[in-house]
This record gives sequence, structure tokens and C-alpha cells, in this order.
Amino acid sequence: MYSKDAQKLLKGAKVGDELRLHTSEKEYSGILMPHPDNGDENCVVLKLSSGYNVGIDAGKISRVDVLQKGKGIVVGSAAKKNAGGSTGKTSDAGKSAGSVFQSGEGKEFVSLLGCGGTIASKVEYKTGAVYPASKPEEIMESFPNISKISNIRSRVLFQLLSEDMAPRHWSAIAGEVADEIKSGPQGVVLMHGTDTMGYTSAALSFMLQELPMPVVLTGSQRSSDRPSSDADVNVTGAMLAAKSDIAQVMVCMHKGMSDDVCSLHSGVRVRKFHTSRRDAFASVNAKPVGEADVVKGEVRAFGEHRKRDMKRKLKLFEKVNENVALVWVYPGMDEKFVKKLGDFDGVVLACTGIGHAPVNAFGTKDANSILPALEKIMDAGTLVALAPQTIFGRINMDIYTTGRLLKKAGVIGDLCDWLPETAYAKMCWALGQERKKEKAAGLMMRNIAGEISERSAMDERVEFG
Amino acid sequence: MAIKCGLEIHQRLSGKKLFCNCPAHVEGLKSEGAFSRKLAAAKSELGKSDIAVSFEVAKEKTFEYSFSECSACLVEADEEPPHKLNEEALAVVVALCKSLGSALVDEVHVMRKLVIDGSNTTGFQRTAIVGTGGKLATSKGDVRISTVCIEEESCAIGEEGKTSFSLDRLGIPLIEIATEPDVVDAAHAKETALGIGTLLRMSNCVQRGIGTIRQDVNISVDGGNRVEIKGLQELGMMETLVQKEEQRQRKLAQIGEEVQKRSNGKFEIGEQKIVDVSEIFLESKCALVKKGMQAGGVVLGICVPFHAGLLGKEVYEGRRYGSEVSDYAKAAGVRGIIHSDEDMEKYGISEDEVTELRFALSCKKEDAFVLVVAKEKIAQAALSLALKRLEGAATLGETRRAHPDGSSSFMRPLAGGARMYPETDVEPIRIDEVLLKKAGKIKIESPEEKLAGLCKILPEHMAKRMLMSRNLGIFERIVEEGIAPLLAATVLEDTLVALRRENVAVERIDEERLIAVFEEYRSGKITKAAIGELLRAVANEPQKEMSALVREKGLAKISGVELATLVKAENAQLGAIMAKYRLRVDAAEVQKLLKKN
Repeated sequence: MYSKDAQKLLKGAKVGDELRLHTSEKEYSGILMPHPDNGDENCVVLKLSSGYNVGIDAGKISRVDVLQKGKGIVVGSAAKKNAGGSTGKTSDAGKSAGSVFQSGEGKEFVSLLGCGGTIASKVEYKTGAVYPASKPEEIMESFPNISKISNIRSRVLFQLLSEDMAPRHWSAIAGEVADEIKSGPQGVVLMHGTDTMGYTSAALSFMLQELPMPVVLTGSQRSSDRPSSDADVNVTGAMLAAKSDIAQVMVCMHKGMSDDVCSLHSGVRVRKFHTSRRDAFASVNAKPVGEADVVKGEVRAFGEHRKRDMKRKLKLFEKVNENVALVWVYPGMDEKFVKKLGDFDGVVLACTGIGHAPVNAFGTKDANSILPALEKIMDAGTLVALAPQTIFGRINMDIYTTGRLLKKAGVIGDLCDWLPETAYAKMCWALGQERKKEKAAGLMMRNIAGEISERSAMDERVEFG
Repeated sequence: MAIKCGLEIHQRLSGKKLFCNCPAHVEGLKSEGAFSRKLAAAKSELGKSDIAVSFEVAKEKTFEYSFSECSACLVEADEEPPHKLNEEALAVVVALCKSLGSALVDEVHVMRKLVIDGSNTTGFQRTAIVGTGGKLATSKGDVRISTVCIEEESCAIGEEGKTSFSLDRLGIPLIEIATEPDVVDAAHAKETALGIGTLLRMSNCVQRGIGTIRQDVNISVDGGNRVEIKGLQELGMMETLVQKEEQRQRKLAQIGEEVQKRSNGKFEIGEQKIVDVSEIFLESKCALVKKGMQAGGVVLGICVPFHAGLLGKEVYEGRRYGSEVSDYAKAAGVRGIIHSDEDMEKYGISEDEVTELRFALSCKKEDAFVLVVAKEKIAQAALSLALKRLEGAATLGETRRAHPDGSSSFMRPLAGGARMYPETDVEPIRIDEVLLKKAGKIKIESPEEKLAGLCKILPEHMAKRMLMSRNLGIFERIVEEGIAPLLAATVLEDTLVALRRENVAVERIDEERLIAVFEEYRSGKITKAAIGELLRAVANEPQKEMSALVREKGLAKISGVELATLVKAENAQLGAIMAKYRLRVDAAEVQKLLKKN
């Protein structure tokens, strides 16, 4: 929005109109642009005929001529109205978009489901504003090459940025995927925001059991309005993976900085390690399941994996409990904070080291302990599990007194090599499946989708240089 | 009607890159890593792909980028969003706007200009208008300034078929000064470019050396289409470039008229049929065709009505109309075309083959033909592009690449304003008091003021030379270091030029090394006469330590007791001693010692 002064000066002129602005120094002719949200609201922005935008201080403008009324610029308004409309109740989530787009003829197809995020965004070129794609056709338009790989049936589930997703959306996605699988695709591709893609992929891994075919999540780190976007390569990789033999939930993202190969990560083992790089995703405490070579158009699987079997019957366990917290243990962590965690049904503590939190194991005078508070909330019914904030490695609560004290108090997670995010998604899911804390704890400690491994192999660490 | 000509001068600024903190000065470093990318066309803001952009997409290339760690970071690799726009560079541009009399905008909006020839990892160049209007006084009247922009340097000007780039220079800040088409002729173009170049140097905030300033020329003849010629580095070739382009556009108009005359105004290339004529060449002796077909290629041809003899016409000396057509075809990835005005014998194509070919293409006597040999998809694309050039022989709106000899060749169709959209990753920058104050501190003298200052320390003729020299900035720095002005000017303007004429790679001597050479002299380690030899040594081994070069080349100055002993031992005349130790002894000192003796 322009400032009141600027609006007053512009009188009836609307965004999209062609104007001539007069200042004491110069005249400027161009199309009135909307005010960018990070600019000076007192500067009137004109697009000159050369395509450049310039900002002119309203205070310097002595006269405004409207040369031609414009047709107005639609800043993805229709899409904006829809965006976020599906963040409501669980029962509504995912039901907002009805239209289905089908490409090509023939029996075999891949289902392409849009969950929002950068990858399913469109740009409004005049203003540069990015808004979510609301129609499946829009998504197909953005990726003209993928229909060469397979026929596609596409639908838009949400238009959510992944940071706005909640566990109920994981449930909704699982339900939609299960529906989609009934319609008989070769595989399912989910377009998803990258920020919390690892959480969703972990949750889906627990919810969609006995998968007959691949379910592949993909996204992009550079928006698809850019010529250099990674989206096309990632979606192409995901399409190849969806047609492959690997019947599990996977994440398909760039392997390196080049536009050639995507890694296929297990849904429970993957984490976003970089804010902006294309190759932000890596597998933790496991090797990738395989890779999709976009140049050669082939998928290479590494090691053992569950094979595609279209006759296998999918089991859907989509219920979640959203009253779970994921908390980072930090030096000086205080009792009063831990007490508040009693409001939750479950808490995952991203602990320090091999399974630690400040419990004052030495009984030093000058040290705090959160142990009494932890014991209290656990007694009152909160399930507490550990996951390593070191990210790599396995919890072992028998090595130091600290670990032993936590274990004795009833904190679970011993010998688990899961990611904090995966442990969190699993706890939301486990408490959704089992109401009783003990039963949920049992479910937590049972390996469901490869999130807890028995062996720590030598070559499972990402080289950070 | 005369020509309409305007210039765009691009000058690299000193300091840091425009959207990250990498240094703006490094080039030619060793590659320490590489990656490959593809670029896709984004639809333009009007919902249509820009013509220049779709032209590049047709090529579907994979680009290779190499980088050295110290000159590029994740921003250049398009792996991290741009940081804030470099305010130091913006202040320089603001200061230069003021000296040109340009009106500053109040808020600078960074735009993305789509360029998908691979020269930018992002697929666009970031650019913004800082000022509009202003003028430059010349001997043929004022040349009005249309815009002054700040923008990021690309990896390189896209070269024919170029798919590998270095990230070293990507993101260096550039000031772009564009003039209105007020330039009246070739000589005036040179004068205008020189005038702007001198003004830029007056700021002392611009980079110096080959490649740090580039001139683009916009030119149209007799109200025809505008042609933009990019990347002229040597100002000395400006006149030739403008003359040749003027000639080319006039010749093209003549060819166009001739075609219309022959066809009674009915010529239209339309959807000319592309015919597979491979069969004719199955037994051919033509090496080019044989090789192409062995590699899985085909020979495709088109008939070009009413063009017999015209493809061979020169548009200027050494360049035929056929080469213009060939440039278009090359954009699809072929190495060239064969056309009917060429010597078929040279290709090894027999008369029978030509007869068959003409028959297959339904070529009449007054028609020409064009052939390409390549894989079918590429060959199809190449001929479709060639047809675009042949649509009308008159000048097409083009972006052309300047060559060092003043000629030029086709790069891509002229892009429209439609390929611009806002760079939303960079917030608009308000030109406020703080920035204006910063810009105010940058002193930009007028050339007259500067000359008056130079005349105080140099003879007038040398002062004038220095004013116009691209070495002006470094001259001032050397003088500040306490070197005699005349010596500094002579070395920069004469010694270095003489070395270059001897094919010594003087461009390898950077500013710091140049100053270090003067320092060797000032501190008495070498004589004045040895400066040239030491510069030669530095150019040959730019990485080697200065003291080692002095020692190895035997340039260490002999003076004091050592010189006295030598004079005594030699017991000779000044001339004889100087002949033997010319580079190592100071004549005045020898003379003094001889007098003593």
C-alpha cells in the first residue's frame, strides 16, 4: 500500500494505468506498479517502457497525468484467496481442491499431487510477486518436460508453505495418497515446500505402511520462475523415482550443485542441511536409497530396498496427536521451562551429546537440574524421548551418569539413531495411534520404517569437509 | 537520412562485487571446482516468452561453470540469494550521475533482465536505473544521456556456441551509461565514448585495464531497425565498427530492394519447405557432407526464391550476406551453411549433385539454395533460423557481437523490455541523505580541472596524454608514493607501450606489482634504466618475488663503495663503464666518482 500522501497525489490512478509524473527536474512516463512491501511507501513506482522500475518520491511530484487507463494487474488475487484456506480442521484439510488434470492416453500414469511450497509457485511478472499455483494445469504448465516421462494425473491438495504445515496436514496428505493409490498409478509424486519436507516424509513413512509403489516427495530451493530453478530437475528425478522399483516413501532432491543427478533419500532419514543450496538435503545415519539420473533418465538403487508389488495391500494409519513438542536442550535450560512442557502429551528432547540434558549428575552446588521437573511431567503422563542434536550418531543412555539418570526417570530413546525431526513426527503419530502412554512408548521404540537401525555402518556420515 | 546512433558504456567499478562480499578485482585464477546447469525459459511478465529468450531456449544447452574459491561464493553459483546491493558502488554511480547532470531516482529498484545464454548462472542479469537525463558536451553538440544504471557483470559476453564459463567476473559492479541517439557519425561515436570514458576515470573508483570498459553501440540507418552491437573493448576500433555497420545496413537494404525488384514486390519467404536431400549425397566426395552423414547426420536444404547471386554479395569487405544467414543457423548448433553462391568445387560437390539438388529443392534459375549438414533435429532448427534471417533482407532488429577488428556477427534477436521483472530478493534502496553524503565525498574533477592539476607536475604535452590515458589513476597513485611524476608518466605511457609492441604480456603486471617496481627504484635497489627490464621480467613471471627477479636478471644497482671499486678497477671513461653496466649503475654517480679520481 502506498502512503496516504502518495495515494492522495495519485488520486484516481490505479495500478496498471499509464501515467506521466512531473517533478521539478524531470518527467517520468510509465505504468503504475503496486507498492512492494519492502520499499518506501512514499515512493511511487513506475515501470518505464524499457521495462525498468523506478521509485519517485511523492513529495517531489507536482502533477500526475493519467495517459491511459490500464486493465489492472492481478496479483494472483484468486490464488491468494485460496491460499491458506485449507489450513483449517483436519477433516477439511486436503479437500479444498477438486479439479483433476490428466495428461496423455494409455493406462499407466503417475499421480502428481501439489502441497504448495516454492516448487508449486507461480510468479506474477509485473510485480515479481510469487503466489501458489491453485490449479493442476498451472503446475503442469510449469514443467512441460515431465509428460515425456509418463502420463500424469495431477491434483492440488494444498497451497501451503511448508513452514505453515501441521501434523494434521500430514494425515490429510496420507489420506489423499491412499486414495490416489486406489486409482492405480505407477507411483505418487508430492510437490512440497522444502523447509519441513523431512518431517512430512517421516510422518508419511509411518502412516503409509506396506506401500505397493513409490511415494516421492520433491521440492525446489530456487523458485520455478527463475530460469535457473532446480525445480525441473527435481520433479523429473521424482517422476523417474515414482516409476522405479523402490516401494517406499522417499525424498528426491539435487545430489550436488549440478543439474544432473538427484539423490533419493529414505523418508525417515533425510534432513535439510542448508538454507539455500540445491543440494541442501542429505541422508543421516544411512546412505541414500538410490539416485535418479536426470541426464540418462534412469534410477540406480543402492543396496536392499522393498520392491514394488502392485498386489501388496496398503495399510493406512493416518491418525496423529498434535499435542507434541520438539525442544532443543541448551546450556542453562531451566526447570520453569520444562514444567511448561507438562502441557503436552509428548515431548522430544533434542539432547546434547550421546543422550544428555542438564541434570547435575555431579551434584555440584552451582548447577541446575531439570530432572525433578522432567520426572514430574512424566509422572503426570507426558511421554519424553531423546534424539541427538548432534544429528549424526546414536543415543546411548548407559555411558554417563547423566544418561543413566534420564533413563531411570523414564525418558525413552536409548540406542535410537533417529533424527530429532523423525522422532517428533513419530511421536505425533504414535500418540495418535495409541492413547496409553506405555503403548505409545512401545510403538516409539519399535522400528517401523527404518528410522531406528541396528547397525551403525562406517560410511554413513556426510563429509562436511 | 543519416544514421541514428547511441552508445552504452559499461565500466567496471572497484571494490567488492555488487551483491556479495567477493572482491571485484580477481580474474584469470585457477579453477578450483565446477558444476553444470541447465536454464529454462521463464514466461515473461506478459505471459509470453521474450523473443530473444525463446531463441536461446531453442538451443537446450547444458552450461559448465568453473570457479576459484577466492573470487566467487554461493551467490555467484546461484546457491544463495543476493545480499544487499553494494552501497559503495551505488555511491559512485550516484556521484557520476551528478557530474553528468542526470536526475536521480528516489528509490532504486533492482530488476532481473532475462539472459539465458548461460552468461549468468541465474539466467538473468540484475540491473537498476539510478539516474535519467543529463548530457555530455562534444564538438558536434550535446549528446543527451538517457539512463545511468548500476548492474552486475556477467560471466562473459556469450560467444558462439560457448557453454563453459568462469564465475570470477560474475557480479562485478558495472555502471552503464546509455546515450540518446544523438551521435551523428563514426568519428563522433568515438569522441563520445572517449568523453564518457574520461569522465568515468575522473572518479578514481573505476577499474582499469583491458576488458574493464566496454562500449555497446546502437545504430540504425535511414529509419530501419535498430541493431545493438555489444562488447567493443578497444575504443580505437569504434569508428571502424560504426562505419562497417552503417555499410552493412545500407547493403542489406540494397539486397532487399533487389529481391523485391526481381519478384515484382511479391517476395515472401513464408514457410519454405525444408527438404531432406541426403540421398543425393550418398556417394558424394564432399568431405564435410561425408563426415556429417557418418556421424548420423542428414543433409537438409531449402530453396531461397529470387536470391541467386545475392548470398555472395558483400555487406562490407570480407563479409558476405551468406555469412549473415550462416550466423542465424549457427545459433542452432551447426558449424555453418553451404549456399549456392559458394564455390561448390571447393566443397567437393559435383555439378551433377548441384543439378539434382536444384531439382529436389525446386530451385529456379533466379533462386538460391541453402544446405546444412547435421543431426536431423539440429539441422531442422538451423534452417528454420536461417529462414528467419531471409524473411526480409533488410536489417533485422539484432544484438550483435563486436569483434576486435571492428566487424560484428549476429548473437540473438534484439530483446524487448518484456524480459524485465523485479528482483524481489533485493529490497528497493532509497537514495537518502546518508547515501548522498557518501556520494558527495567522491571527488570527480572536470577534465579541465584535472588537466590544470596535471600541468603543474608534468610538461603540457605529457599532461594531456596522461589525462586521456587509462593509466591516469595508477599514475596518481605512483606519484603519491613519491615517484617523480615525469618518470611515472614516461614509464606508463612509453615504456609499457614499447614492451607491449615487443609482445611482452604487460597486462599481467597488476597495479601492486607495478608500484613494487617503482619502489625498487625509489629505494635505490635498481637504476632508472633498469625499470623497463624489471617490468619485462615481472610480465614474464608475475608470481615471482621482486628481489628474486632483480637478482636473477642481474639488475641490482651497483653504487657506493662497490661502484667506487669498480670505477677504479675499470679505470675507464664514463662511456665505457656505462656501455658495460648500463642497467646497473647511475651515470651521475659514476661521473662524480670519475671526477674524484
